[in-house]
Amino acid sequence: MNINKTTNGSTLTLSLEGRLDTTTSPELETLLDASLDGITELVFDFSGLDYLSSAGLRVLLSAQKRMNKQGSMKLLHVNETVKEVFEITGFSDFLTIE
Amino acid sequence: MKSFHFNRRRTIVAIAILVYVSALAFTWLLSTKRAWHQTESMLDYAMLDLNDTLNGSLDTMLLHIAVSILEDLGSAKPISNEDALRILAERRIDELNVLDRTGRNLGSSDSRLIGTSMADTPKSAEFLVLTKGEVRAYSQPFRTGGHNPDVCRKYLGLAFPDGDGFIQVGIDESHVTTMFPSIMGFIFDEWLLGEKGFFLCANIDDGRLISNPARHRDEAHFLEETGYDPNGFNVCEDGKRTFNQRLFGETCNCRAIIFAGHRIIAALPPAEYFRTRTVYTTGLAVLLAIILSLFVVLLCRINADSMRIQAFYASEVEKHAAELELGRTIQMAALPTAFTMNEYCRLAAFIEPAQEVGGDFYDFFSLDETHLAFLVADVSGKGITGALYMMNAKTIIKNVLMATTTYDPAEALSQVNAELCRNNPAEMFVTAWVGVLDIDTGYVSFVNAGHNPPILRHSTGETEWLKARSGCPLGCFENATYKVRDMLLKPGDMIFLYTDGVTEAMNVSGELFGDERLIATLGDGKQLAENAGPSEVCAAVRSSVERFVEKAPQADDLTLLTVQYLCIPERYVRTFPAQDVALVEAPSFVEEKLRAVLCPNKTRGQILIALDEVLSNVVRCSGASGITVSLTFSHARQSLTMAISDDGKPFNPLHVPPPDTTLPPEKRPIGGLGILLLQKTMDKLAYRYVHGCNILTLCKTIVANS
Repeated sequence: MNINKTTNGSTLTLSLEGRLDTTTSPELETLLDASLDGITELVFDFSGLDYLSSAGLRVLLSAQKRMNKQGSMKLLHVNETVKEVFEITGFSDFLTIE
Repeated sequence: MKSFHFNRRRTIVAIAILVYVSALAFTWLLSTKRAWHQTESMLDYAMLDLNDTLNGSLDTMLLHIAVSILEDLGSAKPISNEDALRILAERRIDELNVLDRTGRNLGSSDSRLIGTSMADTPKSAEFLVLTKGEVRAYSQPFRTGGHNPDVCRKYLGLAFPDGDGFIQVGIDESHVTTMFPSIMGFIFDEWLLGEKGFFLCANIDDGRLISNPARHRDEAHFLEETGYDPNGFNVCEDGKRTFNQRLFGETCNCRAIIFAGHRIIAALPPAEYFRTRTVYTTGLAVLLAIILSLFVVLLCRINADSMRIQAFYASEVEKHAAELELGRTIQMAALPTAFTMNEYCRLAAFIEPAQEVGGDFYDFFSLDETHLAFLVADVSGKGITGALYMMNAKTIIKNVLMATTTYDPAEALSQVNAELCRNNPAEMFVTAWVGVLDIDTGYVSFVNAGHNPPILRHSTGETEWLKARSGCPLGCFENATYKVRDMLLKPGDMIFLYTDGVTEAMNVSGELFGDERLIATLGDGKQLAENAGPSEVCAAVRSSVERFVEKAPQADDLTLLTVQYLCIPERYVRTFPAQDVALVEAPSFVEEKLRAVLCPNKTRGQILIALDEVLSNVVRCSGASGITVSLTFSHARQSLTMAISDDGKPFNPLHVPPPDTTLPPEKRPIGGLGILLLQKTMDKLAYRYVHGCNILTLCKTIVANS
């Protein structure tokens, strides 16, 4: 998986390519831990993301919890497979998907 | 049933009436005949009695007279004719003789007789018996032709007490006639013949009646007034012949005698001579009516009982049939009917027990994703015993085969045999043909335990017998072993299994269907297309047997099972170490294959997510050493079956409770979501733990990108 990181002031945009699964989600988790200080708006661009598994959901959940405290988080260009995963797991209830 | 019962009761009553009427008629006829006999004997006795009475009365009267004369005379001494005539006049008799001990006449009312001897004529000589001292009195009936030839006279002799001579008195019939009414009339008045019979006594000359029955006393005073025709019966009036004469308006049986100038008639009216007939017939009528009524009541009762027994029997038979029908339902329900096992083989079966329940069975079941067991068996027995043994044998065979780890039917059947021998009091056995098909290769290992050889039918329509045998029928010998046989099926090949109900089906002329007709049916290009499927094969054999047998009854259970191997599946299998590397390599392997079959992106994503969820769990938690991922694509790549197996600790992910997906993020626990995703995105999930391996099977329909 490739992650492109763009910071614009207090806005952090992460563009993900490939799959967010058991093997790749620790990478994203590490990146988020290191990058979220002072960020008030976290944007995930999923246009290049093939799919995510429950391991990816865990990372998104902890990111959401943190951003709930310090700002906001949104997801862009979510494909059908990923959207279905959010629907099934109830994540679509609290995630902001645009 | 009820009307039948009623009809039978009516028959019983009709027979009883017939018996009644016949018996009465018979008795009537018999007693009529008997009445004539009785009439005759009754009249015989009456006549005898009458004679005795009339003569006895006259004898008594004469004896009295003789006694008084004897007293007057004192002893046998000569008396003068005048004295004799005086005594006659006094005593109102017609003749008196005094005789000495030799029978010489000492004195007589007839002077011609004085000095004659009684020994002179035979008739008078009879009186000499009185001179012997043994008999004191002797009498003779009225007779003519004595010393006065025109006179009909009766004599009585009485010996003197000292035995020295005797006297003889005589009285004329004409004299008696005038005395008759006064001395005899009383005799008849109360003299009855039986109950209704009676006597008539009338003077011959004037016909005046001196006796007639009390009940007719006022009707007649002269004989002609009774209806009697004296001229009609002259010859019969001897007291010996019976004649019919209407008297007082009734036809009576009569006898008549002439005595002392009187005609004496004994008459039996019908009421008398048919009295016994009436008594007998009436008595019998009553008695028979009672007996027959009892008989009819008893028979009707017995009839009703027999109806009840018949009805009970019929209901028992019905109940038994219903139970057998239920047994059949249970037995048939035990046989599998889901003939579409998978896309690599297909089956068809048919079973027709000869009785409601039978001893034949077929079975087929998957041993795992790639092995199909199929068999046909025939228990040595039909009916309930066969059916019970069949259920037992079927269960044991399936259980043992399902537990096998080697897919070796010979090993399995040795176990089955030992199990069946262990408890077999009825000494039954079962022949069986059991095959195990490896779907991946078309390889069939099989055992023939004393069963009919199946037929292999190639996709080209050619046929051949599978004659190989492996051992004796199951349940015969405890230590029997079985040899495994094998063959390789090409796609399209089919194995046709059957029981001897097919080859031994008999037609009306007693011929057997036989092996030749069977293999000809399967190889007949006209009946069966080359590409015919299992159900067509079964149908062809069925109709061929039916046409052959026609109307002959089915003697044995008939069972068919056809298994066709369709194709070698498209399958890819790879094994990975159960480490993190598997989390990378296994998805790559799967993705590559999915791309090759042009799986749509979304579906591919779903499958890869599922794979990731399973793999991460196995690698992180199971303690397994290896993971095998097997991908099997259906015939037209319409669907994928992905089996993931590991040798880790047993864990059934399908039993994990679903997470609550409605909680806000702060309260969300991490975990359980992966299983949820699997369940929501895959078409079918199955978990098994076999031979130390967790096997999770996921099925997913693939609609390929065009």
